[in-house]
Amino acid sequence: MRKIPFLAGLLICILYLGNVYAAEPIKIGAVYSLSGPAAAIGTPTKLVTQMVVEKINKEGGINGRPIELVVGDTESDPTKAIMVVKKFINVDKVSAIIGPDRTDLGMAVKKQVEDAGVPTFMTVGGDPVIMSGGPLGTCKWVFKSPQRSSVAVEKLYDYLKKENLKKVALITAADGFGKDGKGWLEKLAPKYGLTIVANESFNPKDTDMTAQLSKFSSANPDAIVCWTIGPAAAIVAKNVKQLNLKEPLFQCHGIPDPKYVELAGTAAEGSIMPSTKLMAWEQLPDSDPQKKVIKDFVHLYNDVYKINNEFPINTHSGYAWDAIYIVANAMKKAGVEPAKLRDAIEQTRGYVGISGIYNLTPEDHNGLGTDSMIMVRVKDGKWELLK
Amino acid sequence: MTDHLAQFIVAGLTTGSIYALIALGFCVIHNTTGIVNFTQGDFVSLGGLVIYSLLMSLKTPLIFAFPLSVFAVTVVGAMVERVAIRPARSRSVVILVFITIGVSVFMRGVFKILWGKNQMGLPSFSGETPISFVGATLIPQNLWIFGITFMSVMSLHFFFNRTRMGKAMRAAACNPKAASLMGINVNLMVLLSFALSGALGAIAGIIIAPITTLSYDIGVMLGLKGFAAAVLGGYGNSFGAVVGGLLLGVLESVGAGVVSSTYKDVIAFGILLLVLFVRPGGILGHSETERL
Repeated sequence: MRKIPFLAGLLICILYLGNVYAAEPIKIGAVYSLSGPAAAIGTPTKLVTQMVVEKINKEGGINGRPIELVVGDTESDPTKAIMVVKKFINVDKVSAIIGPDRTDLGMAVKKQVEDAGVPTFMTVGGDPVIMSGGPLGTCKWVFKSPQRSSVAVEKLYDYLKKENLKKVALITAADGFGKDGKGWLEKLAPKYGLTIVANESFNPKDTDMTAQLSKFSSANPDAIVCWTIGPAAAIVAKNVKQLNLKEPLFQCHGIPDPKYVELAGTAAEGSIMPSTKLMAWEQLPDSDPQKKVIKDFVHLYNDVYKINNEFPINTHSGYAWDAIYIVANAMKKAGVEPAKLRDAIEQTRGYVGISGIYNLTPEDHNGLGTDSMIMVRVKDGKWELLK
Repeated sequence: MTDHLAQFIVAGLTTGSIYALIALGFCVIHNTTGIVNFTQGDFVSLGGLVIYSLLMSLKTPLIFAFPLSVFAVTVVGAMVERVAIRPARSRSVVILVFITIGVSVFMRGVFKILWGKNQMGLPSFSGETPISFVGATLIPQNLWIFGITFMSVMSLHFFFNRTRMGKAMRAAACNPKAASLMGINVNLMVLLSFALSGALGAIAGIIIAPITTLSYDIGVMLGLKGFAAAVLGGYGNSFGAVVGGLLLGVLESVGAGVVSSTYKDVIAFGILLLVLFVRPGGILGHSETERL
């Protein structure tokens, strides 16, 4: 009989807990490349996603409702990405989707989410996912958190103009990301008074780019601009040193990553590139509103979740954080009804994130300008903030 | 554009040497079993990965790490034959080829678990100070690649033509039944051929890793190009493998440099197709007995 109070207490506990969790969770689908060639990008993105969802849930979730994460693997394959997204839409019935993480995967699932009307926040580099018209289709439901390629190109060109480097030699990858960058580099050059004196490309799986780069010496450029992500950038840096090209090497905004320095070794020294503030946040002035947010992020990433053991922080690390926070903030305001949620995301103003201060509009589904980026240079294997 | 020709040729010969080593591996196994061994690319990855661990994690000096890594992959090559190919007890080419595809996927999975999904970088064997040489600049690693490839091809040639074992392998390749009647252990020869192509793959992986970067699937694309090189030279012909490898490398790099870098693979593979239209057996592929 003495057990009765105990059982009653237990019952109350269960009922109480039940009440807290009776709030139905909000499902968010996360689709990343957890295997295949893009796994090194997708895996840390997933870990950050889980980190931020736990944080939001600990802080009370979305108006009391916890976020339930459904994770899917694209296997770096557009077909698989579409299958995952279809499952999210039809089986899991998610309220929003985060990811995928590569431009070609993003383009593959764009039509699915646009047709189904599911707010989708991608972490891809290329711009076409948030452009509309012609073969690009509509863009009512797709957002992306990394800076546009065009913004990164403008940041880079702005620097070239300031440094009076007028003749540019381009070497770009022949994949979705590289072609997107190449298009903007060609289009925006006249605006900054730059001339493109050489224009070469390579396959991102290539092992040697000296053939393309050796043509640069006769073109006599002031600067070499390389636009690719992944190990190819390190090979270009090594080849530039091998050929003894004296012009400064500029890389794209996808390269600020300790991996680049590791792969290119001493050949990385002196490379200059646009980056998110994450790469040199300690050198930012204290007046920068992002500094505190980034500090918290770095603390969680390095000290609490220890993701840096396998994936040291790079310029991409914050994209998933920003994507989820913007979606979660919009859900807090407008609930999960798709059209209302979409409108609320479009009305995000002044969200201070890791990758910048976001100001979204129905026309601008990214919301970041050149002021969200910094220029960094590799110096002694570290990232030096350029003024 | 021709003023950079020397540079294009140096670049082409470098990647071409790697293609040649991989093509040789394909052809050694082809000659004893008649199959295309799809694990060849993974031998390349493994060579690079093992030497990465030896150099970076265990701090083994290069002079020991190199032979150790080659030996490790040689053993893995032999194991592939012993564990996957021989128990199938099949001479059917299709079945054996499919087994190698399965083993290849399995190996890549294991590499991914053991070494992770990240890219890795390996230092050059002897610095990265550029050397100027008749209008081209090369780094010492280029010379290492030329030298080691040359040595490998020469020792392979010596092995097949001057040693008992090598001659026995050639005999088993030429006519397995007659060879076994003469007292040659054909099974052992097949085992040896897998070990040998493991070694060749490992060498290719080890010497190219400092120039490119390393990942668990680095050998997939190189394996494919090596296969194309073997076909170009005449599948199964070891001299053809070397010629095909070097030619494919030079075609790619001259194509990129002189014509257009966007279409360099199209140019290289277009020429491969053309060669096959004119000579379906490849450049040097005709006689059956002189393959090794």
